Amino acid sequence: MAAPAKPLTVNEQLQQLNAARKIVLENPAYYDKIVKGILPIIGPSSPVELRRWGAEFLAESLSTPALNSRGKENLTVAILETLRSLVESQTEDPLVLKASVMAAASAYPVVVRWIIHNAYHTESWEHMSAIKSRILRIWDGALTPIKICCIKFAQRVVLAQTASNNTEQKLNGLDVSLDKIPPNHQRLDPRYLEAEATGLLDRMLGTLQDNSSDVVLVDATLNALSVLIRTRPGTSNRILNAVLNFNPFTIANSSPMTSKTKVMIKSMEKTTRMLLIHLMKREPGHPMAQRIHQHIEKLMRSRAEVLDEAGRKRALADQAAAGYGDAKRQRVEVAATGVPQLQIQPLAPGPQSLAALFTLTTNPGLQAFDATQIPVAMASRISVKTLATIDQQILNQALMGIRNRLSAYKAGAVAAAAAAATAAAQPAVLNPDTAPLGIDEDDDDYEPDFYAAEDTEQILNKLDGPPPEEPPQDQNAETDTALTALATFKLPPPPSLDPEAVVKVGQIAAARVFGPLSTLEEPAVLRKPKAGINRLAASSYDRDSWLTLITRLATRSSAGLEDASSGIKPEEALDQSRMTLGTMIRELLYNYVLEDFRRRIETAVAWLCEEWYNDQITKRSKLDGPLHYEKCAQRLLDGFLPYLTAQDKILTRFLAEIPELSRALLGRLTALCRDPTTVQLALTSLLYLAMMRPPVREIALDTVQDIWIEFEDARPLAAKYLVKWRPGFIEAQTAAASAGSDGTPNAPAITA
Amino acid sequence: MASSAMDQMNGASSSSSSAQNGQNEDSNAFKLKFCTVCASNQNRSMEGHLRLSQAKYPVISFGTGSLVRLPGPTISQPNVYKFNETSYDSIYRELEAKDPRLYRANGLLNMLGRNRQVKWGPERWQDWQIGMPRVKHEHDKGSEGMEGGVADVVITCEERCWDAVVEDLMNRGSPLNRPVHVINIDIKDNHEEASIGGRAIVDLADSLNKIAAEEREKVGAAAFDSGGAAGRSSFDERVPDVLADWQERWPNLPATWTLAWF
Repeated sequence: MAAPAKPLTVNEQLQQLNAARKIVLENPAYYDKIVKGILPIIGPSSPVELRRWGAEFLAESLSTPALNSRGKENLTVAILETLRSLVESQTEDPLVLKASVMAAASAYPVVVRWIIHNAYHTESWEHMSAIKSRILRIWDGALTPIKICCIKFAQRVVLAQTASNNTEQKLNGLDVSLDKIPPNHQRLDPRYLEAEATGLLDRMLGTLQDNSSDVVLVDATLNALSVLIRTRPGTSNRILNAVLNFNPFTIANSSPMTSKTKVMIKSMEKTTRMLLIHLMKREPGHPMAQRIHQHIEKLMRSRAEVLDEAGRKRALADQAAAGYGDAKRQRVEVAATGVPQLQIQPLAPGPQSLAALFTLTTNPGLQAFDATQIPVAMASRISVKTLATIDQQILNQALMGIRNRLSAYKAGAVAAAAAAATAAAQPAVLNPDTAPLGIDEDDDDYEPDFYAAEDTEQILNKLDGPPPEEPPQDQNAETDTALTALATFKLPPPPSLDPEAVVKVGQIAAARVFGPLSTLEEPAVLRKPKAGINRLAASSYDRDSWLTLITRLATRSSAGLEDASSGIKPEEALDQSRMTLGTMIRELLYNYVLEDFRRRIETAVAWLCEEWYNDQITKRSKLDGPLHYEKCAQRLLDGFLPYLTAQDKILTRFLAEIPELSRALLGRLTALCRDPTTVQLALTSLLYLAMMRPPVREIALDTVQDIWIEFEDARPLAAKYLVKWRPGFIEAQTAAASAGSDGTPNAPAITA
Repeated sequence: MASSAMDQMNGASSSSSSAQNGQNEDSNAFKLKFCTVCASNQNRSMEGHLRLSQAKYPVISFGTGSLVRLPGPTISQPNVYKFNETSYDSIYRELEAKDPRLYRANGLLNMLGRNRQVKWGPERWQDWQIGMPRVKHEHDKGSEGMEGGVADVVITCEERCWDAVVEDLMNRGSPLNRPVHVINIDIKDNHEEASIGGRAIVDLADSLNKIAAEEREKVGAAAFDSGGAAGRSSFDERVPDVLADWQERWPNLPATWTLAWF
């Protein structure tokens, strides 16, 4: 279109430029060369196509993530002059201007960083300052596409000139901030820059504060705010206040609802909401979180109101009106029917159901409604809601009505009874009156919720009213009670249990004792001072206390009760069928420990301590009861020995901590020596015992000896310990062995 | 369903030379750059990708899900793949080996067959390095014009994906200072709806491209100086009008839009 001044047409030039662009896209190393090369072609005097292409290329080059910050610095400093001439041109094409402002936004933080380190380079700062003031000057009068880029430019200025919390990505200059500028910088005055940033932020937020309905500006602003709020704490509150006070729906009131306004409202509302949701996701504990959440909900409500068709709005209003009308009618009805109904309907003929007594409505359809059809959960919900919202006056009226009905009934019943007394044979009639309450009538479960509550009410009424007036007659009292109170209900006797069932149920009961363990928390304090055997079991409701409780239940609960069975019939068979509570819990405890013996070894030790203590008490009191400690300890050890690996130091700990060690118990350790990997574990544990538990030192060393004799593989290590603790033993053994094996006279000479 | 997918496949192979509408006759004409997004970058976004590329628009496509999920033999046994690491072709071959009858009957093989003609494999939106040159994708359909690695318009196919895209852009902190229109079109995730949605996407793209081209035709300071009236001609401002008109043409595909930043 525009006449080319050069032999090449504009199109040909564009093709060349595109080819050059392709080269830099393929290899960013050429950016520097190529950008500098094309600068003369895209200057203010070139045809508009070339300027557009050039400005867009500059914007692309300055923002590309393919260049590192150093490469970008070189590039940016090189193009500032051209950029300035494009921006300052008085009659520039809007698209050129738009792309130039975009390029300037990318350039700004790079230049600031450059100047921080190269304060001597006044020229580039002058260019940048000129570009900045030009952009800020054209901002207000610019076309929308340029305006939004001015907003974005301002955002980058604010970002670069406010203090950071250093949480942003170190990318594309987002990390350039006020705190990177030394306070005594030659060219950049942080105080001035910060003040400028504050002013620019206000200008940005102006769009929101004016409740602008220019959707493009609003969206562009909102979508640029996130990084400021997140990484520039100084701006966060002001921005959030502006966003929270922004009303995206103003346009709904000022103009007719066309499909365009809908698009605009939807866009502004959703963008506002997305920004807030995004902030909440990033920082759920934000000090303004509650306000933000409320605002999000408010936005959604308003959106539903404004956008979801006027039709629904009317429907809601109608519904509300209808509901209100109903409430009114109900009130009149209750007020009107409360008294007359009692007088007319109540209890003219003899038998009346409780349902009839409490039915207040005169609507036959409602009267026939079987409330039992409503699921209990829903019925209770309805009842609670109704009770919560019911008008006190209506309630009082209803209560009075029922009360009147009852007293009327009573009067009638008294009269009838009087008649019956004279005619005789009547008492039976009145009793049946009450009997069918639960059986005969369909309605009779009506409002089950009120059943019991009103029951006491009735009884109170009865107690209140009649006695002074009525010289009590037994029959009357009976009928009253029968009517007003429910017949006593007896549960059917439980089926008798046979011993097996008892055992079974007992086991279930015992198993339930372990239930809380899975849910109870570990005690908060890991190492609290141990109170030893004197600790209280139930000082707190944590796992520790509960385990103490269980171990004591196992060891002490039936202590002293078992002697008979064990003393007289010690057969194992009998024990199996008739496990005592103690044995059952022991069994479960055993399983519990073995499920995860590495972590529950402490429980095992605590349990064995309890067993030991109980055994001691049993011995001392000469109760002659069974002793459990040894049995339990052996069983536990047998239980986890097969699973031990070389790293399981818990064996050492277990042996060290349980209260009593017997030869038999330690003898089990020899089993470990069959596996070469656990030999060391077994021997170190024994060595530890020999060193740290002098009372069992001899037993422990005997066990080591046994191991030495029995297992070839374990000899080197066992020998090491024996040499130290049982000097002479190995020599004796070797001597004996060689003497026994061949009896040659050479043997002693060898060992010697 | 299968027939529409088949049409697409045939279309893909035969019509690449013939321009589908008037706007695209001139290869030098201005073209907006598009990006389509759905959950798994398989059905809806790929339908849109193919259609837009057939209409000669530069286009790329992404998925916002954590993984590529395709229906399996039962609802609880989906076929799951990793983004960026699995090609459409390998998924095609795997499913064909697993149960050719099932996956042909439910249209997956058709879909994957189409997709492997369009580009190498599903890409994840969140892993996309916006602005990184895309010069290694010259075999992708619609890659021409996308070398700069940015788009002017992002079209998502589900509200969830729109949310993910907008939030991701906020997370990134808009380092490129480049405005981008993010538009959601609610398309149900099945083959028929994807096909309808694909047409709607091209319709929207044509309408948007028309106003963008008009903006570019107004050259020089005349447009700048004439203020208010000329202001109506700016592309960004006219997007709501275009969207409103489009929404009236496609009332069953509710749309949401915002102007965000790359």
